[in-house]
Amino acid sequence: MADWIRVLWVALAASAPLPAQFLLTACMVNSRAYVVGARLPASGLSVRDAAGIWRHTGFNHPLVTALDYDPRQPDTLYLAAGNGCIRAANRGRDWRILTGEEVTELRDVAVDRLTPGTLYIAHPAGIRVSRDGGASWQDASRGIPRKFTMSVALDRTRAGHLVVGTETGLFFSADGGASWTPAGAAGFQVMRIQQSPHDPKLWLAATQLGGLFRSTDGGASWENLGAIGAGRNLYDVAFDPTAPERIAVGGWSVGVAVSADGGKTWTARNAGLPRPDVWSLAFDPARPGRLYAGVHEEALFVSDDAGLSWRKEGLEGTVIYRLTFIPAGGGR
Amino acid sequence: MKRLAACGVLAILGVALAPASPPPFAERVRQVIDAYAYPKGADAGYATIAAKLKRRADPAWCSRRLIELLDQGPTGDMFWMFPVTAIAYLDQGQLSPEARHALRRAWRTYMPFRGDTENHWLLYYASLYLMAQKWPNEPGETWFSGKSSAENFREADAWIRSWVDLTTTRGQGEYDCTHYLGVFLLPMSYLAAWAEDPQMKKRASLMLDYLIADYAAENLEGIYVGSHARTDDRQVVEKWGGVSSDFGWLLFGLGYPLEPHAGYALFYSLASAYEPPPILQRIAADRDRPFTHRERKRTRNRWRYHDELHGPVYKTTYLRREYAVSSDQGGVLQPVQQHSWDITWSVPDPRGVHNTFFTVHPYSSVFELQTYFTMGPDSVTEEVVRSKRTYDSPDKLLGGSPHERIFQDEDTVIALYDIPPGTRFPHVNGFFSKDLALVEEHPSGWIFARGGDAWIACRPLQPYFWKPIEGGGRRLFSPYLKNGFVVQAAPASEYPSLRAFQQAILALPLRLRTDPVPAVAFRSLRGRHLEFAYDAEPAVDGRRRDFAAWPLFGGPFLNAPVDSRMLKISHGGEERVLDFRTLTVTERPTQGRSR
Repeated sequence: MADWIRVLWVALAASAPLPAQFLLTACMVNSRAYVVGARLPASGLSVRDAAGIWRHTGFNHPLVTALDYDPRQPDTLYLAAGNGCIRAANRGRDWRILTGEEVTELRDVAVDRLTPGTLYIAHPAGIRVSRDGGASWQDASRGIPRKFTMSVALDRTRAGHLVVGTETGLFFSADGGASWTPAGAAGFQVMRIQQSPHDPKLWLAATQLGGLFRSTDGGASWENLGAIGAGRNLYDVAFDPTAPERIAVGGWSVGVAVSADGGKTWTARNAGLPRPDVWSLAFDPARPGRLYAGVHEEALFVSDDAGLSWRKEGLEGTVIYRLTFIPAGGGR
Repeated sequence: MKRLAACGVLAILGVALAPASPPPFAERVRQVIDAYAYPKGADAGYATIAAKLKRRADPAWCSRRLIELLDQGPTGDMFWMFPVTAIAYLDQGQLSPEARHALRRAWRTYMPFRGDTENHWLLYYASLYLMAQKWPNEPGETWFSGKSSAENFREADAWIRSWVDLTTTRGQGEYDCTHYLGVFLLPMSYLAAWAEDPQMKKRASLMLDYLIADYAAENLEGIYVGSHARTDDRQVVEKWGGVSSDFGWLLFGLGYPLEPHAGYALFYSLASAYEPPPILQRIAADRDRPFTHRERKRTRNRWRYHDELHGPVYKTTYLRREYAVSSDQGGVLQPVQQHSWDITWSVPDPRGVHNTFFTVHPYSSVFELQTYFTMGPDSVTEEVVRSKRTYDSPDKLLGGSPHERIFQDEDTVIALYDIPPGTRFPHVNGFFSKDLALVEEHPSGWIFARGGDAWIACRPLQPYFWKPIEGGGRRLFSPYLKNGFVVQAAPASEYPSLRAFQQAILALPLRLRTDPVPAVAFRSLRGRHLEFAYDAEPAVDGRRRDFAAWPLFGGPFLNAPVDSRMLKISHGGEERVLDFRTLTVTERPTQGRSR
């Protein structure tokens, strides 16, 4: 299958920006006054419309941690949520919980671009896979010693290849989760895994206390980049789809750090942020140099110069677990 | 108004007369329901609607008020689900079509969070089960979950059955909670009353017996004695102050009810209003002879840092008329609100009384929170403290510690602490209540105290000093990492004076050391030679305690092996056996084998 996103991003990078092609989504919670059972301010999924207005979409829910979509049907989002994996059709408006009582408090979701109907979820007790669009699920964490899983990422170029980030490090599978091999970051809780949009062999993983790890062989093995985040908690890492060497990490007491040389050197980019505690990051695929950062219980911030300066961009008071661009056109 | 006034008078009389002459069970149920059906204040919410529907009173107001509340937007997750479920079942033709429609619509437009604890899930699934049963054959578009009635029902049914299986084989996770007892009794009361499937109905009825039996064996005049999976900052010192005391009064006529009654007691009463069988009532009240009761429970889901999702909890409780002593093995078994050991002494009126003694290491760590919660490491403490305000306080009296080990034999407790250097709060707190009749620091190193008719002797392993406690009492503060306490309780009837008690304690052989780990060898007042070192297996008269053989329930009244899915309840020559494998109850005489 064609590498849909890569082709699109390459095309975008080579042409004039087409902002209307993407919508920014935020998995977020207004957490300040909330405990289970309390009144919950608008939380869950927010989508920024073409006019730049944030709209809370779908149900109010205190724990939506991630989303993904199938490029063939980008109108349907898959949410990793407290109540399970949720299929949010009609661009997030119509929800159906796909999982049952066997999972709770999902941390991540990944849709297989190469195998229609296949999606993976990361949850506190492991990984589960559905091969029928969420109608049924099977455990896919056999062989992983400690199950708590924060992140799952699929190789968009090789069917059945995926990497998960668990309590004890990174694990790699080349058979759709049937078997796993330890791949790196041993002993560190992995928070987020990303595959480069420019080079499918290049992957990055952000960890709790261990810093940033890199794979150059498609996720099979990993090395510590060493230069950023050790002793701190990194919650997100982002490739800039418009600049192959530009990477950003976000974390606690790290804020935003940006590398312009593929991770060899890093520069803190926190001037203008209210605090250096960042949950989520995303580069705008349609606007070179535009970077978004979700700052803990402050707001979403945006920079048009890769972090040199920032301004507030809505979602005040929230924790934003995940920022994701989705195609704007949709399938309707 | 006359009726309201009469109810008020009755309520006052009920409270005033509660310990001496409680009204019959049906009357207690009526009092609880009427307290909500005819509230004194203007704050009439779902509970009042449900209570009025039960009384078949003011249906027009119920409809109007229900629509108003739903129009404001549902909130509360599973704590919204269970009241409106009761309203739906108590309607029975009283609500207007508009109100009924608003209620039905809310189950499509509001998605409750399923939560992250055992009680959340039980409330969520019991409510979903009953509403899916009430509105069968409806498509997913009519439910917040997007699943059809049949799918919702199947999912809820599966989880409830799995919870019963787990509880009757490995024990509850949120076990013996002073507050949360109510949220386990409530859904079982619902299912026992309203489930149409005879098996689910029976299963819930058996679970009511099971949960009530668990409480009956470990209460002292209605007070749930520690240790607890969860309690709170108030109830850990004022032992009466929990919802469990309301149930002690409601179910058994013991002690004093809460004022106002707990909402959980109301909803229990609105559904099955199950009256415990006489054998449980006798067990709840029988403290004529001292006894030791053992239980095995399980930890909350341990998401990280452990190979097994649940670890075992080994609980020991010694009860007698004058006091109770109870403990787990120490360690962090539950996050934040665990209470690991205490002595609770009986008092004529426990309201406002801090009738307890215990020690804790005030532990606070991201490690603990990440073990049991799924949140990230940096904000999790801040998030917890927003609702559990003392969690990160060095002064706190609540919570377990991974640096605490506890051993109990009858009314002797040895609590040892080995706190690694660099631990956030490197000291131990001891709670000395404002309601201790005396506290005397003896030159021997023992501290002698009296609470009610209980003598308490406490021997700290390390020096200490005193700090005041807001609200009364003193906190023993001992800033030594290798630490511990030997505690012996005894009834005042056995030692007529402080001097007699002191002489008895001082005559007991005692060896203490703190290096390389804290360790104690002690002959108890019960004549047992106890040996216990930190992280070592305790021994009684030279025999190691066999934790592998620890029962799910073991004692004169309740017995069940681990994994049995049965509970044998015994008292006064009678036996009642709950068999969850066959969903049957068998009652038979025991030919004098039980007390």
